[in-house]
Amino acid sequence: MRNSFVLHADERGYNKILSTGATASYVGGHPDAFITRFSSFNFGEYQDGRKGFGRIRVFGDEAFYHPGCSYSMHPHHNFIICAFVLEGRLTHINTLGGLEELGPGDYYAFSAGSGGLHEELNRSAEPMRAIYLWLLPDQLYLPPSYTRGHFDAAAGTNRITPLIGNDAGPVKISQDARVSRLVADGPGTFRYRPRSAGHGVYAFAIDGTLHCEGVTLKRRDSTGIWGAEEIVYETGRGDTDVLLVETIM
Amino acid sequence: MTDDTLKRWICLGCGFSYDEALGLPEHGLPPGTRWRDIADDWVCPDCGTPKARFEMIEIPYAEGQPRAA
Ligand SMILES: [Zn+2]
Repeated sequence: MRNSFVLHADERGYNKILSTGATASYVGGHPDAFITRFSSFNFGEYQDGRKGFGRIRVFGDEAFYHPGCSYSMHPHHNFIICAFVLEGRLTHINTLGGLEELGPGDYYAFSAGSGGLHEELNRSAEPMRAIYLWLLPDQLYLPPSYTRGHFDAAAGTNRITPLIGNDAGPVKISQDARVSRLVADGPGTFRYRPRSAGHGVYAFAIDGTLHCEGVTLKRRDSTGIWGAEEIVYETGRGDTDVLLVETIM
Repeated sequence: MTDDTLKRWICLGCGFSYDEALGLPEHGLPPGTRWRDIADDWVCPDCGTPKARFEMIEIPYAEGQPRAA
């Protein structure tokens, strides 16, 4: 049985997190720095929307403003935390020894497993924009891991490019899930076949126009579909950029 | 019918997990302490997320886990 939901950009949870006051230990970069976050799903105490989708628990459309703006170094377990940089420069630091600068097209998967800390930092005056995705793992307290990847938009135009997965894509994770990117420079039809009827696909329009199941998604709108043998995505005129997250439901 | 098996819960703020079988002896919760018996104002020892923002999970442990503290 086919099911779906549509989430419009303005229906998402929204937080502006300051680097001063009560959140000063959480967000670095005093005094002007702040983070904005649009949440498709629940995020800790910050939102009361949809609880998640399959193994997805967080899908944050975030921006870090002003130099030094950061989520200060903080601990995690278990969650597979992925970031996809859209604009600006992200400095990612973790306790596996990683100190990386990522730019547009770059992404990573940080599996916190048995324990790890990370910091997410914008050192530049230009805003840094990224999508943050958190997935539950398929086992608790795995050895932590960090893998970085790059999406080449020029090579990946007018097709669906795998980015992350337990079997497909250059970055491996321990969960029955796959992340792909669909970039098109004009109208096109793209067919996605989930692994099984027990899988669902969350499609988030980063930019452009996407038609799916009789619904038109505009910039930052999204749709989740599950129980479908095939999902047909049609891109609109101009440039379209979509993140697709397939997950066991 | 009541499902009496011991359960696990995960903090949605940071991924810390609470296992009823193991408790958290270092935080005053002996092994076997049921989730329902933990105070409502209890928060995640790692990140301060309130108890209400934990989710029950049925995810198995990785090989060799949980390691004795
Ligand atoms: Zn926590």
